[in-house]
Amino acid sequence: MQSSEIYQQLGGIFADVFDDDAIALKPEMTAEDVDGWDSLTHIRLIISVEKAFKIKFSTAEVGKLKNVGEFVDLIASKV
Amino acid sequence: MSTAESRKLAWPDLAVGGRAAFDFSVSDEDMARFAALSGDFNPLHIDDAFARSKQFEGRVVYGALIVAKVSRLIGMELPGRDSVWASISFQWNRPLYVGQTATLEGVITALSEATRLMELKLTLKVGGRTHAKGNAEVLLAGG
Repeated sequence: MQSSEIYQQLGGIFADVFDDDAIALKPEMTAEDVDGWDSLTHIRLIISVEKAFKIKFSTAEVGKLKNVGEFVDLIASKV
Repeated sequence: MSTAESRKLAWPDLAVGGRAAFDFSVSDEDMARFAALSGDFNPLHIDDAFARSKQFEGRVVYGALIVAKVSRLIGMELPGRDSVWASISFQWNRPLYVGQTATLEGVITALSEATRLMELKLTLKVGGRTHAKGNAEVLLAGG
């Protein structure tokens, strides 16, 4: 799966989780850049991505992520 | 007020297919207390004659009172003390009546190690027949 396809699908997941269709994902984006990205919505985001892409993450993998770009790379490594 | 000790299941204790279940029945007193607590005095729940006029066999147990039993299942048994309830969806397909014995069961259907979140399938049965079913998501809080 191309990185652009992952960004597109991930954008829909972000819009649903954060209830905001206007979020434009960028590789350098972090939780600081998205309203409402707190610990519980982070869990909802991870779960939604696991289901949408039919993949599983480990605690260590998720804990190391620094931004959306790394998240996309992690997804790409599993699909 | 009586209290009971909750189970303390840890993440390694959890597996898909793991389950917990208990039987319960809802008494007249439970209904009266729930009416007072919720402020829901719909006669469907407190007036037998009215409920029968609506083609039910008698007063219908509050759906939210059944959800309260789900709270017991999660908070006391699966996984117990360290649970943080994250979501629920529930369908009531057949009424539960006051005094009927029902069995509530929760079965783990999925586990997300990265988030320590489990998904539970919930089933409420009376005499082997499903009266309500649903799903819940529960976090296992770290410490």
